[in-house]
Amino acid sequence: MAPPALNSSHAQSALRSSGATRRNLLITAAFAALGYGLSKIRWRLGGNPNSHPSTPKTLEIYTWSSYVDQKLLDDFKAQTGITEVVVGILGSNEEMLAAIKAGKGGTYSILYPSDYAVTQLVQANKLQPLDHSRLIGLENILPKFRHSVHDPGNRYSIPVSWGTTGLIYNSEKLTPPPRDWSYLWQYPKLLSRRFTLLDDMREVMGATLKSMGYSYNSQNPEEIKQAYEKLVELKPHIASFTTDAWKDQLLAGDLYLAMSYSADAVTLMQEDSRLRYLIPESGTSLWSDTIVIPQPCPNETGAYAWLNFILQPSVAADMTQRLFFATPNQAAYDQLPAPLRNNQSLFPPDALLTKSEGIAPLNEAMTEIYDRYWTKLTSS
Amino acid sequence: MSTQVPSSLVTQPDAHSDKESPRWLGPLVLLGPSGLWLGLLLVIPTLLIFELSLVPGIRPGDIVNPSGLDNYGLIFQPVYFRVIGRSLFFAFGTTFFALLLGFPVAYWIALIAPKQWRNLLLLSFVLPLWTSSLLRSYAWITILRPTGVLNSFLQLIGIPPLDLLNRSPAVLIGMSYSMLPYIVLVLYASLEKLDRRLLEAAADLGANPLQVFWKVTIPQSLPGIVAGALLVFITSLGDFVDPELLGGASSMTLARLIYNQFIGATQNWGFGSALSMILIFLVSLAIALLIKYGDRSQVV
Repeated sequence: MAPPALNSSHAQSALRSSGATRRNLLITAAFAALGYGLSKIRWRLGGNPNSHPSTPKTLEIYTWSSYVDQKLLDDFKAQTGITEVVVGILGSNEEMLAAIKAGKGGTYSILYPSDYAVTQLVQANKLQPLDHSRLIGLENILPKFRHSVHDPGNRYSIPVSWGTTGLIYNSEKLTPPPRDWSYLWQYPKLLSRRFTLLDDMREVMGATLKSMGYSYNSQNPEEIKQAYEKLVELKPHIASFTTDAWKDQLLAGDLYLAMSYSADAVTLMQEDSRLRYLIPESGTSLWSDTIVIPQPCPNETGAYAWLNFILQPSVAADMTQRLFFATPNQAAYDQLPAPLRNNQSLFPPDALLTKSEGIAPLNEAMTEIYDRYWTKLTSS
Repeated sequence: MSTQVPSSLVTQPDAHSDKESPRWLGPLVLLGPSGLWLGLLLVIPTLLIFELSLVPGIRPGDIVNPSGLDNYGLIFQPVYFRVIGRSLFFAFGTTFFALLLGFPVAYWIALIAPKQWRNLLLLSFVLPLWTSSLLRSYAWITILRPTGVLNSFLQLIGIPPLDLLNRSPAVLIGMSYSMLPYIVLVLYASLEKLDRRLLEAAADLGANPLQVFWKVTIPQSLPGIVAGALLVFITSLGDFVDPELLGGASSMTLARLIYNQFIGATQNWGFGSALSMILIFLVSLAIALLIKYGDRSQVV
């Protein structure tokens, strides 16, 4: 009795397991087919979004948090009759580039990319050429911003602000005061874990290159490697790579120094008289933020209305006074009160400016070299 | 017209099921919605990430053309092993501290605290979850910074200040704190079901309290401990906020590295996808271990 029973149960289990393997085989085959099918479909990561036309009464803009405030929006609405302005806040150029290139555009009629991001957007075919006959007051923009390396002749972009990258420091804590980038390497004891650098690959690599006497935009792999090695030496002393989080800690006295953009530094200096902003002697980067019209654009008329509004000298001067960034608009500059015009952190002397460089766009191979060293630096 | 069509579609299967409900209908109705959800929002996206991971150096706007495992090859570099190792270290550390701090609390609420207070006590423990995790991390910055709340207090009682912020200890503190409510809830659920007669029996038979704890309480609550520990481990492995805000310059974790590849400075979506697959693999491994050993411990 026992053996047959055993046999039958054995047979059953064999049957069951063969059923199971058959099912497994089917599932594997299905996945293989799916995988093969997927591999045959060539699709584009991102692509062109469908522009959904908005009403002429609404305008969506994608900008930095420090570039708009309620008053600016109210003035705009009162002047143009556009009733609703929707503001998207961008955290970094890279975030915006990824979003726009991946097809998340289509809702915005105005973008605020920085200089090098304009080049990348143009290369990706995401911007509309500007129709200069529809712009009023373009001639007030200073000549050097009308002929920038990123967009000569303002074919796609209009500069809205410019500034430098430098060091903001607590003058009570740092003696002697810093004069150049090399200070970071000279006083490791005083500064150790008391300073932050920007969370920005090009700025940090560029500043280090500049401190060694090379170009902020070096394209020489050997120089870039040297800069990386110099940063590795500094790394244990760096508190953090951050673009924003240093502000509270600098005010509280936990940090003595931070690498920062001039606009942020000047704003913070209003709150604490101990703070000073330094543009390093050996030179730094000059950046500019611009306004562009994306392609596709849901509300073109509204976009031009926004551009012409920002181009008005009184509006630009007002923004500089309220939000503390340097205007590239000569007519607006002339309207500013003398203390602001003479603020050397905001409008540095020409001697320093000639030593500085704009951040130049890199080709893909160079970008990869920078990426590799930056990832190695921040990951170790 | 248009409203009639769907309603007839909905009622028809019901009418059928009265007479001869097909065997597949029940499971379909029960599992269909969540299956569709999982398929569309988990399985297909994961397959897409896998496909992207096979395209070397793809950036937004490029054509997806899978061609090989180059992205996975990139991971075999000491620097990325260090990142993966650091992520595992933070996850194990958080699990350890969350268990160490969470078990006594759950034990106290489940077995010692007066019964009518239990719900209130649990609620108060879960209360921090009602605020944003970002806010809680910022609160830790205020507490841990060199001249912050903690160091002001230490100075007051004559202890030299601690330099914790922007280092690994701050990350472990922040993450253990975020995970504590979860592990307390899981452990409470398992300790509450503890068979007290066994504890009494052990005591009657001469075991001292320590022996009772190690030989009766712990084995009985082991499934809860394993489940809670894995929940914490898996969540910490993917945590992004605490290392970013509290860890300083040398706290790159897998989740942050992935973030950087997608919307950070280095936009290499292919490499980011390969890293994501590694993270998914590590998490799946943890879940597989839970299924295997979680069951066995229940038998004990």
